[in-house]
Amino acid sequence: MSDQPLFSLRNPWFGTSVGITAAIAVLSAIAGLIWLPLAQPNLKLAGVWDAICSAAGVPRAAVPEAGVKPDFKTSNVVMTSEMLTRVNQVSIGRGATLAQRCAICHGPQGVSDAHSPNLAGQFAAVTYKELNDFKTGARVSVVMSPFAAAMSDQDMKDVAAYYAYLPRVPSNSLDTGRPAPAVVVTGAPMRNIPPCGSCHGDIDNKAGSPWLGGQSAVYIKAQLEAFASGARRNDISQQMRNIARQMTAEEIDQVAHYYEAQP
Amino acid sequence: MATETDHGLGEAVAARIERRWATLSLVIVAFLVGMAAYIGIHQATMPQGRVETADPKTLHLSGEFIESNLGSEMQPDGSVTVRAIGQQYSFTPQCVVVPAETPITFRATSADVVHGFLIEGTNINTMLVPGYVTDLPVRFKAPGDHVMPCQEFCGIGHQGMWGKVKVVDKAAFRDMAAAKRRLTCVD
Ligand SMILES: [Cu+2]
Repeated sequence: MSDQPLFSLRNPWFGTSVGITAAIAVLSAIAGLIWLPLAQPNLKLAGVWDAICSAAGVPRAAVPEAGVKPDFKTSNVVMTSEMLTRVNQVSIGRGATLAQRCAICHGPQGVSDAHSPNLAGQFAAVTYKELNDFKTGARVSVVMSPFAAAMSDQDMKDVAAYYAYLPRVPSNSLDTGRPAPAVVVTGAPMRNIPPCGSCHGDIDNKAGSPWLGGQSAVYIKAQLEAFASGARRNDISQQMRNIARQMTAEEIDQVAHYYEAQP
Repeated sequence: MATETDHGLGEAVAARIERRWATLSLVIVAFLVGMAAYIGIHQATMPQGRVETADPKTLHLSGEFIESNLGSEMQPDGSVTVRAIGQQYSFTPQCVVVPAETPITFRATSADVVHGFLIEGTNINTMLVPGYVTDLPVRFKAPGDHVMPCQEFCGIGHQGMWGKVKVVDKAAFRDMAAAKRRLTCVD
């Protein structure tokens, strides 16, 4: 018995076990790749080959459905967290020249008391995105829209780089001792409100979310109310409208004054 | 010393034992394959039928996940397709409205990192992975409200990422769908 080769087709044990193993593999493949996929009508498979490919996980691009088109302009900026984070001296220099026309409202050093946003030290991606949205009409302002309309893409990048380069200046209402309202510290999870700082830079920065410290309370309040009412809709896929809509008038007032008092 | 007959007897016993063990393991394999097929068909687990890709950076520019196309859509065959996205730190639409006792397909994806997609009180529990479309056939038995928390840590504001699902009466949904092509229950 021992002189009989183990791995030989003449060995009935070998032949049977290999045969059974192969049969299991074939049957499982038929069940998993063909029968089960075809048993799911919602997959709308085109045939056996389609069933095999989809069950095997061959990726395909989602159907670019026409669907319902927006009846308003949405932001067309492609945000990434690396966007405009590299310092470019030439760009800053060009931006400084271009920014002279912004000084009337935004201040010669990017800070003013005019209730227009302070831009000194703002993330470059934020300034760029808002300028771009003003230009395309995704965000509308009687004052800003005509300025942005005349700017090239490079102009907007340069201005954004310049303001990001300027140091932040605290507002006149700076008060670091002011206690943070609950909605800033913990948000309100059951109402889909995360802490403000998880996007706006105090804890983490989500690309496109502005630094809020030192901004005019009047401005912050006006923007939150505009997001909540849907008057402002250039936040990509409603990321800010979702939050602002859930905030109470009192919370909006609290965060506006809190951030104005921050550096 | 063992004789020829003893040797033949030992071989027969060994062969019988060998066969029984082989049969037992075959039964186990068949049971496991059958179980996987059964729970798949009866949706105790919901393995996805196909892999579809969608660029997370450009969801808002074109394709089925643009803002105006999100929400619940009544299909000509009476079923409902719900399109949604997860992003840091909310679902859009923030409130999903669907009819009870109706076949529903959830199609969702992420605009940034991995998010969780879980509807409390149901066995709907999957992930939204950036780059891929999650496609899930579901059915709600009765009208009612459910919460939809993100159950996959997605960043420092993760605990604030909660959506809502409102299951309404079939007829009520049909009336709503007659007035609007994409429905949500965002107030
Ligand atoms: Cu999440």
